[in-house]
Amino acid sequence: MVPFLGHGIGLRTKHFPDLLEQGRRADWFEVISENFLNVGGRPRAVLEAVRRDRPVVLHGVSLSVGSVDPLDTGYLRDLRALADAVEPAWVSDHLCWGTFGRHNAHDLLPLPLTEESLTHVVSRVSEVQELLGRRILLENVSSYLTYTSSTLAEWDFLAEVARRADCLILLDVNNVYVSAINHGFDPAEYLRGIPVDRVAQFHLAGHQDLGTHLLDTHDAAVPDPVWALYRDAVRRFGRVSTLVEWDDHIPPLDEVLAEAERARAFEKTVLEESPE
Amino acid sequence: MTLAELQSLLHGRITGMVPGRDDEVREQIVARPPLDALGRVEIYSGMYLHRLVDAVAEDVPHTSRVIGHDAFVELVRAYLHEHPSRSPDIMQAGRHFGAWLRTYQGIRADLPDLALLERARSEVRTALDAPVAKAEELQSLDPEALPGARFLFSPSLRVLRLQHDVRALWDVLEADAGEVPDPVPVPTTVAVWRQELKVFHTGLSEPEARALMVAREGGTLEEICGAFAGEPEPAHAAFKTVLSWFADHWVAAVTSQRA
Repeated sequence: MVPFLGHGIGLRTKHFPDLLEQGRRADWFEVISENFLNVGGRPRAVLEAVRRDRPVVLHGVSLSVGSVDPLDTGYLRDLRALADAVEPAWVSDHLCWGTFGRHNAHDLLPLPLTEESLTHVVSRVSEVQELLGRRILLENVSSYLTYTSSTLAEWDFLAEVARRADCLILLDVNNVYVSAINHGFDPAEYLRGIPVDRVAQFHLAGHQDLGTHLLDTHDAAVPDPVWALYRDAVRRFGRVSTLVEWDDHIPPLDEVLAEAERARAFEKTVLEESPE
Repeated sequence: MTLAELQSLLHGRITGMVPGRDDEVREQIVARPPLDALGRVEIYSGMYLHRLVDAVAEDVPHTSRVIGHDAFVELVRAYLHEHPSRSPDIMQAGRHFGAWLRTYQGIRADLPDLALLERARSEVRTALDAPVAKAEELQSLDPEALPGARFLFSPSLRVLRLQHDVRALWDVLEADAGEVPDPVPVPTTVAVWRQELKVFHTGLSEPEARALMVAREGGTLEEICGAFAGEPEPAHAAFKTVLSWFADHWVAAVTSQRA
């Protein structure tokens, strides 16, 4: 299993000056892998400074593990080189697809939840883990559509991928909530469907209510219903490394750190109520 | 429908490369009120364009500001149709934008060059780090080896051949102050580089541009001197120029062999 890192934040360009001047005050940092592949200059300098005194994890957005395109071995080579240099606590990406015909949509598109998809993804995750030389974490994505061909619940699909490919799960609590509202399922049932021993990280984030659907925007504080679901997740999965994501309209560093502290406080309260 | 067929259908629809096929989309996507199947796919189509417009605009912030938001969105839409993103890094999506803009009529004539300059500055900002060679390495060479000296340049050095001189335009837009100058249709060679973590650009004289081209193609110091043949003191001009390359951190290494 992976280590418990505490409560971290994303490494974002806007915070580079503060991180260099004020030190690294979060427990750990999550780095968007693609922003640091074959890169020098300030991003690399900040990453190295952060890595010197805090754990770092690499979080990708372009693996496209569910795509029918061949795996991008050049990308995976670069990712492995970055991982070898940075020595992250782990490497993660999303259970989704985003490329077709080598054309990248730069999105995290949901898969049809079928046996065909399952077999395809399991094989690809195994190949990725072989190429990277490590187990990866796969994250559930927010979605705005489902397929008429789906025969499995999303939580069953994710659990089965993890079991068959022997990978771990990055459970995005906000994404569970957003998809639950958008598709009308019970988020508690989602949590119950995920095996406890596979969950190695939580994500928390904000979203927007657009009236017709919730949009996973990562541009606001974590809303109350997501905090409530986080408490349920801590009750079920125990102490799990937790990260507050903030990707747009990013506030000052202190505000993001305060959200991470809030997560720590929620976790502490839940664990005191129901010690492991 | 197989997984491959489904991905082909949805990807074409979301990226706008293969629009239509509404009936097939309705068959494949669950309609759940208040959104029907097409409305659900439309969420992804809107985000696709929005996300890539933001990425290209981040590369060329001044160009996008001069063009104006709505017109810029339409330009990027047309650009993506010809240059769909092939890289896992979304920040590479705009790498052909400046060159593509040159083929586009109906915008201010110097904007393609401004976009090329801005893109180069963006690339330089995050280009791979390299060692910085010191002028002493050249000066300490055996005099007989000096003419055969060759230079390896930093990966963060870019040289642009622009059809307009856009330096004054960039200055005004960067400072966000002053009157935007009219286009200056003068071919200009511009070097863009990084020193420590700061990005610079400057115009090059014709002899220096020629010398730099020779040097980057692996030419020797003797061949570089040839670029200054028309100058009153060619050797002096060449040596002064080469020393400035060291001072600006353009040179990563010097190699030598006897001439």
